[in-house]
Amino acid sequence: MGINKSRPIYEKLRIDPKGRAHLIVTDLASVPEDAIEADPAFSNIESWVVGIGAPGIAAEARGNLRAFRAVADLRSHLSHRLARETMGFRLYALGSEAFLWDVMTLGREAGLGEGEIFLNQAGTLRRRVYCTHCKTMNENVATHIVVCQACGATLFVRDHFSRRLAAFMGVKVDAEVPGEVPAPEVLYP
Amino acid sequence: MHIRLKPSETFRGEFLVRNSDEAILRFPFPFPEDAYMYGVNIEPHRRGGPSAAYDAVFDLDEHYIGECEDRALTLIDDPARCQVLPHMLAAEWDVVELLMESLATDYPELFQLSKNGDDWRWVNQPLGIDQCFTFGNPETLPYPPFEYITRQVQGDFTIQDQRDGNLFMDGGMVTSQADWSLNFDLGMSFHEWHGPVPLAHELGVFDRALQYLLRLQLGKPVRRLNWTLTVNPRLDTSPENYPLWGPDKATITPENVGEKMCLRVELQTLTRLPRSNAILFGIRGYLIRLNELVRVKKFAKRMHRVLRDLHPEIAEYKGMPRYRQIIVDYLAPFDDGAVLSSGTAPDQASL
Amino acid sequence: MKARIADIQSLGPAIKRLVLAPSGAELFPAASAGANILLEIPGPERVWKNAYSLVSAPGERNRYEIIVRRVRQSRGGSAWLHDHAVIGQELEIGVPANFFPIAKAAKKHLLLSAGIGITPFLSYLAALQAAKAAFELHHCCRGEEAGLFRDLLPQSAQAVLHTSRNTLDLVKLLSVQKLHTHLYVCGPEAFMDLVVATALRLGWPRAKIHEESFGGATGGAPFIVKLARSGIAVQVRADETLLEALQNAGVDAPCLCRGGACGVCELPVLEGVPEHHDHFLSEQKRAGNTSIMTCVSRAKTPELVLDF
Repeated sequence: MGINKSRPIYEKLRIDPKGRAHLIVTDLASVPEDAIEADPAFSNIESWVVGIGAPGIAAEARGNLRAFRAVADLRSHLSHRLARETMGFRLYALGSEAFLWDVMTLGREAGLGEGEIFLNQAGTLRRRVYCTHCKTMNENVATHIVVCQACGATLFVRDHFSRRLAAFMGVKVDAEVPGEVPAPEVLYP
Repeated sequence: MHIRLKPSETFRGEFLVRNSDEAILRFPFPFPEDAYMYGVNIEPHRRGGPSAAYDAVFDLDEHYIGECEDRALTLIDDPARCQVLPHMLAAEWDVVELLMESLATDYPELFQLSKNGDDWRWVNQPLGIDQCFTFGNPETLPYPPFEYITRQVQGDFTIQDQRDGNLFMDGGMVTSQADWSLNFDLGMSFHEWHGPVPLAHELGVFDRALQYLLRLQLGKPVRRLNWTLTVNPRLDTSPENYPLWGPDKATITPENVGEKMCLRVELQTLTRLPRSNAILFGIRGYLIRLNELVRVKKFAKRMHRVLRDLHPEIAEYKGMPRYRQIIVDYLAPFDDGAVLSSGTAPDQASL
Repeated sequence: MKARIADIQSLGPAIKRLVLAPSGAELFPAASAGANILLEIPGPERVWKNAYSLVSAPGERNRYEIIVRRVRQSRGGSAWLHDHAVIGQELEIGVPANFFPIAKAAKKHLLLSAGIGITPFLSYLAALQAAKAAFELHHCCRGEEAGLFRDLLPQSAQAVLHTSRNTLDLVKLLSVQKLHTHLYVCGPEAFMDLVVATALRLGWPRAKIHEESFGGATGGAPFIVKLARSGIAVQVRADETLLEALQNAGVDAPCLCRGGACGVCELPVLEGVPEHHDHFLSEQKRAGNTSIMTCVSRAKTPELVLDF
């Protein structure tokens, strides 16, 4: 069976020459050199990272660099920034899939859409899993079977992704014969 | 149209529901040929078709009261089964107008709608409702408009917003679904919410279907059929409640398959909405036990052939592997190999 | 469906408002803001099928209103309506179709129009005001028509009339918009091209720019179209579209919106160079010249061969 058509397909990030101002946000500690294609003439590119600002970006060449203590902090600042921005703004997100789509939701709420916000997966491939039975989000799931941290159901992680929830769908794996649970495979260590 | 409404039936617990002879003969059988494969299979939705189930714009049958009660129970249990994103309010009113006008036209002895400008009066006799309200003012109804009316109609409904050359499922009343979650799928685009369906993507079915639906015109609704198998005539086979109905799937035996195994058919309609330019997707579900279905000779024989030869990936996606062989073995004695007419009409007027 | 002309109002020397009412007991279906209807206009020698934006309030089921400008180079339809339509007359009209809807998720709507291009925005105004949505309308017109358009616009700071080039600072207007704004443009081709090009240059994404094509289905130089599969050759006159010529010759050419927006009429081009006037084909498809939207586009070469 092929890949589920609800799965997003990611492409390498590229600075859009038609944009007026550019902001890269990532849940990583730095933006790797090769993570984004940009014409060297561009100097008005800002980067927001989480953790300690690190080498890998020549701060003068790439414009402002800002480091946040945590993803939640970055998101809060991003909401405020987007509410003030005007047309021509471009947002580029790099990081885990859950981070990307959380940023997308913030972007959409502020009005950003196709052609203005770009996503690419980097860093961990671990998944956020939505427990269909109790509606709880289980973060950083490395396996294809996971026990819901809230209701205790053993979930099979279906290959069905919701951009709105930024999560994969988890459904009880042993609903038909309780106890009949396959061994969890570690997919994303 | 005179319908004998059954006063109380249950679609959970003891499953106190049966199909009358009329209900069996009007059942919307989904297989026009002896083999089944995915296709776009859309046709114009006009009053009239292979059985009486196609006679009304939104079909109502003898199970009306029981199904509305079952929906109300599911919504108490999980209100997230009915959600509409805020920008779809105009579509909600479009749905109120469409469903009320259709029901009042097709079943005048059961529903009456009178209008004085925006002051409307809606009477639903089977459910004992007499409601005056102002069309366009949500404060004048006891529930949000879409929820209000869909609580009074059989079948699930979703509303698709049309924008950016795509359709987005931005609202729904989903209490009788075949294993998909509104709370998870809300907001998805056409290809996204169809993601889990095997094979059809490779065949280009969804690409063509989307292009067709984007051009759907006012006044020209379309319909198609979908089908699956359900253990017990259970309406709520949601993924949310899979722990409740999942165990039933492992209880099928050759002795009980005739009584417990049900063919579940969805008569799906797609209708362009006037003010919002959105599309209403109606998923009208019908359940029939195998031992009721086989009383129509053509249905018994054709069903045997379709399930015997079904593509394994489709069988897997429809959740059948556990009991497929038991069903095929149950149906085999009814199949004498006779040539059957194509089309889905029952070919008999009585049982 | 059948409609009756209930009223005809003259708004200016070459502009009339027509009010249409249902012919029988059944009401019209409600329409969405930005919808248009096809009118079958019965000329002495031919029937024209012209699309007009509804200017009446969306949701109105007792009447539809359109505004018709008598086009100087008219192919006949609008001239007939001006000269021959009378109150009480019955016409065939299509159900409303919408290829220019309001973007529901936008929090602000910026409407830019010129001349008769204002008509779809008149139905927008009713919907936006009812929803208390933030919007700005900038309408450009010639000085001598200012009175006419001022009467059509609401008295509010949100609707601005421009009668000279100097009062509309397009670059500033487009640059200051917050991210949740959508842009809607309607008017003559040159006006729309200028606005869209400026917006794109300032970094507006395509997805937030909505255009309603007006005057797309105009006449032009006559040419010959050959249908490769059936072997038929059809003359396309100056005053008819390629689609009309095909249909008048008895060819069952596909079509729906007749405005270059929906894609149904697209046919493959085997020879000749199309002159594109549509809003449907991608840049690549246009450049490749392998497709044509028959309802609005014409030919740059004397002959066109279609795979049909």
